[in-house]
Amino acid sequence: MNRRWHPIDVMTGLVALVAFCVIYAPLVVVAVFSVWQPIRVKGALSLSPPNFDSYVSLAANREILDAVYTTLGVGAAATVLGLILGTVLAFYYLYTTGLPRQIMQALIFLPFLLPPIITGLALLVAFREMDLTRGVPTILIGHVVVVVPIIYRTVLVRLNALSPSLREASLDLGASDWQTFRYILLPQLRTALIAAALLAFAVSFDETMVTLFLSGSTSTLPIRLWSMMRLGFVPDINALATLIVLLAAAIAFCVGLLNLRANSGLRG
Amino acid sequence: MADNAAHSAVEVRGGARWRGLLAGIVCVGLPGLFVFAPLATFLLYSFWRNEDGQLVREFTLQNYRAFFGDATFLRVYIRTILLCLGATVLNLVVGYAIALFIARRDARVRFGLVLVFVLPLFTSYIIKIYAIRGILGHRGVLNELLLGAGLIDQPLTVLIFSQTAIFIGLVVLYLPFAVLPIYLSIERIPPNLAAASADLGGSTLDELRHIVLPLSIPGMILAGVFTFVMTFGDFVTPQMLGGIDGFTFGRIVYTQFGVALNWPLGAALAIILLITAVGVVFFATLAGRWSTTR
Repeated sequence: MNRRWHPIDVMTGLVALVAFCVIYAPLVVVAVFSVWQPIRVKGALSLSPPNFDSYVSLAANREILDAVYTTLGVGAAATVLGLILGTVLAFYYLYTTGLPRQIMQALIFLPFLLPPIITGLALLVAFREMDLTRGVPTILIGHVVVVVPIIYRTVLVRLNALSPSLREASLDLGASDWQTFRYILLPQLRTALIAAALLAFAVSFDETMVTLFLSGSTSTLPIRLWSMMRLGFVPDINALATLIVLLAAAIAFCVGLLNLRANSGLRG
Repeated sequence: MADNAAHSAVEVRGGARWRGLLAGIVCVGLPGLFVFAPLATFLLYSFWRNEDGQLVREFTLQNYRAFFGDATFLRVYIRTILLCLGATVLNLVVGYAIALFIARRDARVRFGLVLVFVLPLFTSYIIKIYAIRGILGHRGVLNELLLGAGLIDQPLTVLIFSQTAIFIGLVVLYLPFAVLPIYLSIERIPPNLAAASADLGGSTLDELRHIVLPLSIPGMILAGVFTFVMTFGDFVTPQMLGGIDGFTFGRIVYTQFGVALNWPLGAALAIILLITAVGVVFFATLAGRWSTTR
């Protein structure tokens, strides 16, 4: 449908253009400064010749790199645990009836709906009552609590879209519950699980407001950056930020493509 | 033979019942342990008190009384609500314009445009705040540009470590959350409604006013609720951009668990934050129901 541009489109288009510049400005500034460092010549801001110094010094920054490894490890573990739990819970919701499944669903959605500060504080208080020292395990629990609703929802939507006769036919033909899951349902869930895993990993990688309350001496990258930034400017951060933005863009692009494929697959 | 089959069927059913019970315990128990129990403990904390750094586990309302009896708390609370409402309204207006613009484009480019406006959600939140601080700073990029263009003689001081800075930060960070729900609600409107409107002689403006706007109200409510709840609960942005002048309610809660170390008071203030958020969700849902059944 080739529509002519109505004055409405010109107006909304202008707003969209300005908004685009504003929300991308922080990312662009960080990327530019990672290659052309800002320097002051007689008080005025100017840029140094292009160089990769900040990337080189990032590669030698143990503090940041340790935080990156912790974040990747926590993200991977939270994603795997979240995938298992989210899938099990989605099946539980689909194949049971009554109050328990409603309670279960309401509970796992809560951390997704509540402001993160509430989830973080509640876990902090609970861990203190349990005498659990803050560290990687408490961060991991917090991240699983945060990513499970995302995975659960993705899997449940996909399971609901599947015809129930698939499972019935498989059981009728003598397959066990496990065989039905492994050979009939799991392959159908593959794209949903990959999309959910990417999304969960991205969320875990960036999680700040819950983690802030749960990290002890070891911290994930956002927490390390938060404490570094309060002390002042570190040029390495620009390099790191640029790399993270590129990685995030790649993940987001993959999630988008997977959703597109899953949707067109359902329609076709 | 038949007897045997019947026997095994009963056995299977018995096994299934045990398995079902076990599944129920695990599937309801885990969320209970890691979601319900912490929240319940947290609520309990808000009714306890701190005495000389020791937690006293006796029921008291003194934390809640401290909130309602302290003009400073109330002032910051009201100011934060107004700040977040302002950011929400601006994001709704801008988000609506963006969503409408995208929805009126060709189907081929729509997906790409949506991705462009949602992508910032996937990029590090803390790094964006750091970059915003670099842009808004006293000798930041924006001030340098304005100085260079000759628009100002002195760097603007209001841009950083102020309520204005928090407002700008919240708008920039949470705009994508407003775009997506509104876009989805506009996109879901059946095209034949627009065609009918055009057939009956309606202009584009008629179509927008009588079809698109009323049918996208649920999306706007969702976007508004999302933006408000998240900006109201955000304490990191105000902490980084607000400085001394930019105290918000979320920051006060956070302080009780850090510097001030009064967990019971912090818990009570957080519960008030939560009740405010739930109240907003409740009234927004009511408003949505009212607007669709009218």
